Amino acid sequence: MNRIASIRRTVRSLHSTASTINPDEIDFFSRLASQWWDPRGEFALLHRMNPVRVGFIRDKIIQTLDEDITPLDHLSPTRSARILDGMEALDIGCGGGLLAESLARLGARTTGVDASESNIKIAALHASADARLTTGINYRYGSAEEMVAEGKKFDLVCSMEVLEHVNNPRTFLTSCADLVKPGGHLFLSTISRTPLSYFLAIFMAEHALRLVRPGTHDYSKFVKPSELVEFFQHPDLAWISRTYGGIPIRKEAEIRGLIYNPLEGAWKTLPAGLSGTQCNYLFWARKPNLS
Amino acid sequence: MLCARPLLFRSACLSKSIPSRPFSKDSAAASYDVVIVGGGLSGLALAAAIGSLPLARELLNIALVDASDLTRKYNWNSDPHTYSSSVCSITNASREFLDSIGVWQHVEQSRTSPIESMQVWDGISNSRICFSNSDIDPGGSIFEMARLTENLNLHRALLHRLDEIPGRVELIDQVKVESITRSGTWPVVNLSGGRSLQTRLLIGADGFKSPVRSFAQIGSSGWAYPSHAVVGTLHHPSSNHPQHNTTAYQRFLPTGPIAFLPLTKEVSTVVWSTSVQLASILRSVHPDVLAHLINAAFRLPEVSIRYLHSILLERGADGITPESITEEIKFRENAHGIGPHSALYSSDVVSLGVGIPPIGSEAYPPLVHSVQAGSQASFPLKLSHADSYVGEGVGERTALVGDAAHTVHPLAGQGLNMGLEDARVLAQTIGEALSLGGDIGSYISLIPYHTARYAPNHAIISVIDKLHKLYSLTSPPAVWARSVGLEVLNELGPIKSALMGVAGSKTKQDMAEPLQHYGAAGWHAAATVVESLSGGIRTGKVVAGSLGGLVSSLVQNAAKNTRG
Ligand SMILES: Cc1cc2nc3c(=O)[nH]c(=O)nc-3n(C[C@H](O)[C@H](O)[C@H](O)COP(=O)(O)OP(=O)(O)OC[C@H]3O[C@@H](n4cnc5c(N)ncnc54)[C@H](O)[C@@H]3O)c2cc1C
Repeated sequence: MNRIASIRRTVRSLHSTASTINPDEIDFFSRLASQWWDPRGEFALLHRMNPVRVGFIRDKIIQTLDEDITPLDHLSPTRSARILDGMEALDIGCGGGLLAESLARLGARTTGVDASESNIKIAALHASADARLTTGINYRYGSAEEMVAEGKKFDLVCSMEVLEHVNNPRTFLTSCADLVKPGGHLFLSTISRTPLSYFLAIFMAEHALRLVRPGTHDYSKFVKPSELVEFFQHPDLAWISRTYGGIPIRKEAEIRGLIYNPLEGAWKTLPAGLSGTQCNYLFWARKPNLS
Repeated sequence: MLCARPLLFRSACLSKSIPSRPFSKDSAAASYDVVIVGGGLSGLALAAAIGSLPLARELLNIALVDASDLTRKYNWNSDPHTYSSSVCSITNASREFLDSIGVWQHVEQSRTSPIESMQVWDGISNSRICFSNSDIDPGGSIFEMARLTENLNLHRALLHRLDEIPGRVELIDQVKVESITRSGTWPVVNLSGGRSLQTRLLIGADGFKSPVRSFAQIGSSGWAYPSHAVVGTLHHPSSNHPQHNTTAYQRFLPTGPIAFLPLTKEVSTVVWSTSVQLASILRSVHPDVLAHLINAAFRLPEVSIRYLHSILLERGADGITPESITEEIKFRENAHGIGPHSALYSSDVVSLGVGIPPIGSEAYPPLVHSVQAGSQASFPLKLSHADSYVGEGVGERTALVGDAAHTVHPLAGQGLNMGLEDARVLAQTIGEALSLGGDIGSYISLIPYHTARYAPNHAIISVIDKLHKLYSLTSPPAVWARSVGLEVLNELGPIKSALMGVAGSKTKQDMAEPLQHYGAAGWHAAATVVESLSGGIRTGKVVAGSLGGLVSSLVQNAAKNTRG
């Protein structure tokens, strides 16, 4: 059985958008998919960043699971190897599915949504090659706002490297927040608006080193960590009750700088806090439980 | 094709919580997350390490393929009077790793021997370097420098450990990997007998000729040394040797090093690296002839060793009897004025085993009485290093460990230890990828393994090769330089302890420190020293008598490297 036929069949068997892929397009999109997923290709930086982002998600989830445990829970059997087992996750701006696949492998029933139809096709094709994934992962072409309108809620909402690209960050963040179940988690990663981020993310990465395509970023859209904290501290949301020197308390939200070492070709997270958040950073906040 | 379900799962596998359906729906091959090609010591250690990962039980489906009969190794019945001549020295770091994955407990301890000190000397100048545990631990809390074990003892232990991890590692032995192909993104291993295994991650632990490395189109550079290593099991009963046979001895002859490695109080192993022609004779001479030659090789001046070699080459293995070689050795001893009261005397082994040993005997290994029948063997020696330990592009979803990734001269006893460290780090890398929801076969998941292991292995490979080259030289400036070098090295506590750090010795307070870093620094320091020595020979600086300069640059280099 040749490869295209098998992809066609698997694609047809996928529940969502992937099934709308025209068979004639499959060749085209599988080529795009292999470019998108080439760890040394155009998205190399993103590929290298993914394990670090998932590490942040994993550590925060484990930490909150540990903190949520009531004394009686200690008697329950040990946690599954898949730490996101039983959770519903949403990845907004899923691209080719890098993060979504990781979330699915960690056990979450995962939905990836992207405003680019081509990204969704790439992601669906890539996941369809791995039969272990297709049951736990579901891709759709669309926007966060559409999902809000449908009243969808998730235990885990992620949106990585998206915020700095949207036109109306306030509306976007409101939608993200709305999609999180009470007690659920929101993970963001983005770029701050500082002279350093201009230098690194635009001058160096786009122009001098050509790590990413020129024009990828627009400096004015970058969001500072303090602006995120303010947003989630506003009484409308009140996810963050108080801050100390601009830093939220650990059970409510966390900010971590993310730096790239070009010599090692590796990303690293910095300790929680504002240091090192002048360029790329990760943000986590937890929606308060209904009480 | 109607049914694409996996075939051939061992019953134990069926009880696993892993869905055993293939990743790719169009394949008739059974699907695994990890297929290891090669059931040598590196491959089995890797299987045990992955199998021992807490996440592996739920998440991974592992198979290991080997051409040999693993059941025979599993059932190896160690006769208390005979010992295998295939041995390895296991560093403390390796032993700790084997312990942590539940393997060391299965090693028959009475057939292993601690190495508490090492004596290494120059075949021409006799300049000597002594390593001992007291060097790095005057307080005495140190364990041992290394542990010698028969490969079979370790092989059996690994297989017994794997047996304890039910259903997690499927062993497929006595089959050859005939070809490796790809189905979509997945490598497919095609076995003799027609079975095919499709896998997410394909590991080459398949030795020097690595079919996995060829499949992944990973280049490899290196060369064959113009020498082979002859091994044999040595018996030296009722020895009156001053040591308890816990010292390893190595003499660097211009033809290659000869090493004496203790296995029990009365049994040791020889690893004698020498020219290919000589090795083929030593491998097939009468065992008693070999015993005499070994005793002489550690004791007689180099000029006489050369003479004995010329006799061997002239007459061949069949042209030499135990009597004739004894005569020759006696003749050489007389010529050098070596009498029965000298530690260098060896021609009358039987009468030497009793009474008070001559002064200085501890500088030489116990006198060998006999070489165990059938234990003589020889191995070609080579240096090789793969260009990468992780495949990409056409080679995606592959990784190499052990001799498939690198081979070194056995003079430093590091080959297996490097392979075990590869196994430890690769298993750790896989564990980390699992905990991050990564695709364990992806380049991104595997690259930390390459990054962690490549440079340290490269440092070891280069220092071993430089040592080998340096000691093959016979010109007076070279001998002089390396003799000074050895003596300087002897004084350099930091380098020595670092060298022994990689040899696995460490004090209790070092326990908390990551050993590999400690070791790597030592190898870098050692490489610099050796480099300085070779450099001195090339430029003739040494002959000009700039001893002060050489010594101070050695010390500076050493200090720089051990600090940095
Ligand atoms: C004389 C000598 C002394 C040594 N002393 C020491 C020492 O003191 N300390 C030390 O650390 N190291 C020492 N070494 C090195 C050490 O022995 C090796 O580095 C180590 O054994 C390599 O193990 P491995 O598992 O990587 O490879 P191998 O032992 O070569 O295993 C490869 C396996 O792959 C299998 N295989 C290959 N191709 C196929 C195929 N197509 N299909 C199926 N199966 C296949 C083979 O059957 C074999 O079992 C010494 C080596 C020599 C020669």
